Amino acid sequence: MARYEADVVVIGGGVTGAMMAQKLSELRPTWSIIVVEAGKRLFDFENRFEYRQRNLDYGENQWPGDFVADQSARGVISRAMAVGGSALHWGGVCNRFSEEDTRLKSMYGLAVDWPIEWKELEAFYCEAERRLGVSGEPSPLAEDWRSEPYPMPPMPMTYNMVQLKGWAEKSGITFWTTPQAKNTVDGYGGRGKCRRCNTCEVCPTGARYSPDWTFKQLLDARKIQLHDQTLVRKLTLDAATTKIASAQAAKEDGSDDSVEYRARTFVIASGYCWSSHLLLVSANSRFPAGLANSSDHVGRYLTGHLAYQTQIDLDLKIFPGMNEQHSLISRQFFRCRTDQPYVRHDFRIWESASGRAPQLRDGSGKLLLGDDLLADWRSRTTRGSARVRGYYTVEPDKDSRLTLDASAKNRWGDPMPVLQHKIDAAAAARAGATREHFQNLFAGLAKANDGRMGNLSGLNYQDHPAGGCRMGADPSTSVVDSHGRTHDHDNLFVVGSPTLPTGGCTNGTLTFVAMTLRSAKEIAGN
Amino acid sequence: MKRRTVLQSIAAFVAVRPFVRLRLFAQQSLSEANVATLKAIAEVTLPASAGAEGRDRAVEHFVGWVRNYKEGADRGHGYGNSQLSPPAGPSPASRYPAQFAALDKAAVDQGAASFAKAPVAARRAIVESALNTPQPVTRLPARPTGANLIADFMGLYFNSADAVDLCYRAAIERDTCRGLENSEQAPRPLGGR
Repeated sequence: MARYEADVVVIGGGVTGAMMAQKLSELRPTWSIIVVEAGKRLFDFENRFEYRQRNLDYGENQWPGDFVADQSARGVISRAMAVGGSALHWGGVCNRFSEEDTRLKSMYGLAVDWPIEWKELEAFYCEAERRLGVSGEPSPLAEDWRSEPYPMPPMPMTYNMVQLKGWAEKSGITFWTTPQAKNTVDGYGGRGKCRRCNTCEVCPTGARYSPDWTFKQLLDARKIQLHDQTLVRKLTLDAATTKIASAQAAKEDGSDDSVEYRARTFVIASGYCWSSHLLLVSANSRFPAGLANSSDHVGRYLTGHLAYQTQIDLDLKIFPGMNEQHSLISRQFFRCRTDQPYVRHDFRIWESASGRAPQLRDGSGKLLLGDDLLADWRSRTTRGSARVRGYYTVEPDKDSRLTLDASAKNRWGDPMPVLQHKIDAAAAARAGATREHFQNLFAGLAKANDGRMGNLSGLNYQDHPAGGCRMGADPSTSVVDSHGRTHDHDNLFVVGSPTLPTGGCTNGTLTFVAMTLRSAKEIAGN
Repeated sequence: MKRRTVLQSIAAFVAVRPFVRLRLFAQQSLSEANVATLKAIAEVTLPASAGAEGRDRAVEHFVGWVRNYKEGADRGHGYGNSQLSPPAGPSPASRYPAQFAALDKAAVDQGAASFAKAPVAARRAIVESALNTPQPVTRLPARPTGANLIADFMGLYFNSADAVDLCYRAAIERDTCRGLENSEQAPRPLGGR
């Protein structure tokens, strides 16, 4: 068995693991830091144009081999498991939550408040934006105040977006561009400027941030060790205390070798699924329900947000394909007056080609060839289309939960997780009113320009999932404190998405990173 | 050559050869006759405004697609999906020889030497028949599937960035890395097409 000792062992090589390692290495340059990741390192940047092209041509994986074949959960979760994690595939959207998200209980009587003040979180948002390299346009709403400007100018609107903004604002709602971790200037973070390749899931130029860049930079500067293809299967306790003594791992490189890590501090940065999973599979005689789980809250309160969406057919000429990932946003509905029925959501608009694909047959079933096919296609492109969506808040039930499935095991015999989201009673009770709100909102938007609204459809899963190790000041109702330190083990931290008590109403990555950076400061301070 | 070097060379050859053979087996390439047939299909199925150059590019694209197909390639996993997509299956082109032969036979039955040499009207009738029988093909596949050669060819073309530009009469260049400059401008018009 190979044995390693370090000051800090970070378990998980995704975006929060990268940010944790980077910040710790800056604040504590003499500390030894090991990042352990189950998946591979995919550092062959020189091949990304080819991967992108093969994805376009054949639908092949843009990140070949970015998974561990037998490490899979049942439920809604992406399979990405590699150095860089899910953020390899990330679209780069960097929206902030709002203060209301952290004060749901005190403002609306819903769920719980977060154990952190907004002003403090805002400072870490700024740091997260600097580290990820966010280009953005400040919100015009006073409530969305920022203490620092965005690190880079906003991604320019495309012609399509200019048209869509003009249309959408006729409804009286102000829209602006979505902030993104994409370079709009050359060289930020050692990466190139966006070349508008239209394939942000794999950015062939490196303009869109992905954590593999951070890891490469840290490794080149010899600031950390990165042990990839190494699955941490279990944490063990010190015999005399409640401290974590070691992480027991197995190599996923074909050797099947065992590895043991000892450290002063362990940081679990394994995302919303695998963080809770590791704590549960580490159960022992002293913590029979799992480590950090004396409160029976590990794996509970899985959260995220739901969405309503539609397509709106418009009296506008647009040219789909100019930059399909780039969107407009309004944060007007992040706030909800306390004397009104509660509904909070973001509001996004994208260019769309829905209903404008070439068709082999016309409406009567007649075969179309050559010029006839083109004429039919053109006839459906004289008007434009917009994809419109709002992520809305739903609060999790205690039984929104990750459990272990004894019938599904990896090759090491470890039970795999099952994820089942459940919204709480208050969120369920307002479901009808929420649907009606979106129906009216989208219909009003469509009407502003002789538009026709398509069917309203709801998301059937919670996007940007989080939770499972929620933070709180009370050890009986939470797993970690506001810094991610587990209540049960003072040298064990959980960071990022698992610690969120509620999932907000917009993309979560920036918040996961901001919270992680706050944890890093705490760990370095100790 | 030293004995050890000779042994290493033999070992390397033995180790590599089955792999090379596998790859050669997996790769499909279309014959010159097939290419001629595809060009004849293009004349009937693609818009006249694509022009001869556009038709040739469409045929080259299809031939290249077939040649570079990788059986068993990792097809990844969908967003939020805990299941891996199955790897790429056998090349769709393995189903094409019989379909090329059927097109030629239909042309011969109408008195032509081959499909490629049949008059346009005859080719059009054969193409329509191939897309209507035994079951009507209702959709253009986004990528070739092997089920219907003509639909595969049309689908690859009409879903291409070139075809989108032709439809919109504008150089959108969907799949090209275009830079951020001038993105607020409408795409350049395609003259006269």
